Amino acid sequence: MSSTHRLTLLLAVLATAACNLPRDPDGTLDRVRGGTMRVGMVVDTPWVTDSAEGAGGIERTIVNDLARELGAKVEWHKGTAEHLLEALHDRDLDLVIGGFTASSPWKQQVALTKPYYTDTTMVRGKRKEEPHAVAVAPGENAWQVRVEQLLRGKKNEFPAMRHAWPR
Amino acid sequence: MAPMSVGQPFRLPEELRSEHGKITRLSWLSVVLLVVAATLLFFTLGQSQAMKTAWVSDVLTAIPPIALLVAMRYELREPSKRFPNGYSRAVSVAFLVTASMLSLIGLYLLYDSLTKLIRREHPPIGTIELFGHQLWLGWAMVGSLFFSMCVGIVLGKLKAPVAEKLHSKAVQAEAEMNQAEWMSEGAAIVGILLVAFGFWWGDSAAAAFISVEIIRDGWHNVRQVIGDLMDESPTKLGKRDLEELPEKVRDAARRLPWVADAGTRLREHGHAVTGEVFVVPRSGAGMDAAQLVRAADGATKELEGLDWRLHGIVVVPVSALESSIPPRVGETDGAQR
Repeated sequence: MSSTHRLTLLLAVLATAACNLPRDPDGTLDRVRGGTMRVGMVVDTPWVTDSAEGAGGIERTIVNDLARELGAKVEWHKGTAEHLLEALHDRDLDLVIGGFTASSPWKQQVALTKPYYTDTTMVRGKRKEEPHAVAVAPGENAWQVRVEQLLRGKKNEFPAMRHAWPR
Repeated sequence: MAPMSVGQPFRLPEELRSEHGKITRLSWLSVVLLVVAATLLFFTLGQSQAMKTAWVSDVLTAIPPIALLVAMRYELREPSKRFPNGYSRAVSVAFLVTASMLSLIGLYLLYDSLTKLIRREHPPIGTIELFGHQLWLGWAMVGSLFFSMCVGIVLGKLKAPVAEKLHSKAVQAEAEMNQAEWMSEGAAIVGILLVAFGFWWGDSAAAAFISVEIIRDGWHNVRQVIGDLMDESPTKLGKRDLEELPEKVRDAARRLPWVADAGTRLREHGHAVTGEVFVVPRSGAGMDAAQLVRAADGATKELEGLDWRLHGIVVVPVSALESSIPPRVGETDGAQR
């Protein structure tokens, strides 16, 4: 029985500690806050469009808001999904945007966030639901939680942004 | 006297029949609770290897009670022309299948976890929305693991006494497995907590530990059921030690007034213990054939009355007997640990 008590005590201690948890193994969130956010971009209109300085499009607003809230400056890396996601897997990037969906074949190699918007498209006459997400460095859990918090807060802005683009 | 029947069904004594029903109810309870726990775990899986392994381990522990439920439908069936020995070994068959499966899946999971550890895969664990709140999925994982842990402990506590009473190795193994589950779930909880504190290896290390537990469990059971299928002498519940039952039967046979010497060759058939008792009639007893047969019939009845598990014992009169069997090479008295 005393082990049960110890367990309860442990859980109580953990609950108080839980506010600062989870932590990043590589300290991404701490580094980005007030520092530099390394963002990979794969052009995929309308989610990510090419523009003179970095990216444009719907997912650009996610990066903008994140950078503003964390007081970070953005370092853009443009490239193919394969190269950028490999760099993300090795934690040489912090975030990659590129119109990824929850069924992306990369989902085991990187960490896809919870979907922020579900798009409905017509594929060969059939309606198809595509939940969109951004990719973050895998295992950087405090960072992933922070990004998902932002996405949840912006939830209601995405439909309007999507409708501003022609299908 | 009732005629000797070639195929007599094994019957549990009256006072144990309720225990048999209890196994059925406990098995159903196990299946239901484990399915609930597995569903909870499934919805909080995320990309955690420890969670995946704990989930598989949870699903695996639901298989033996299902196998036992199936086997118990057969176990007490009347022997048939095709299966004159009856169906008491159905439980051993169920046991063999589940134990081998357990070991193999455990090996695969160990490989999977070690690969992730060596490749330094960092487990991503995001958020989940619960009742309108955004919560780190890790906390939900810990919650469902804790529930699963309680289920295992409760089931183990309920099964152990029933296994003891029925001398059921299958139920005993299940009880042990349920109780060992707390280590798996506990390890997974520790793994998730390590991840929470930024130690990525906690996840796959916990998964590797759980896999080893699954393999150990499976191997332990495979070994036991192989013993059964090799007609091992009856062993003590949950141990490798040999039981005293064969000696008890032998001594009882030797005490019969018309018997000069006796020896036994017993084996376990599911819950039942069966086999041959060889007896050498006293030369001075002066029995004719009819008397000898009557005496042997009487001895069968008397010996089977020694223990409820004894069933289908055959008393064989022989002229001379070498009644002692040497222990296995490397064992002192069969009481090897």
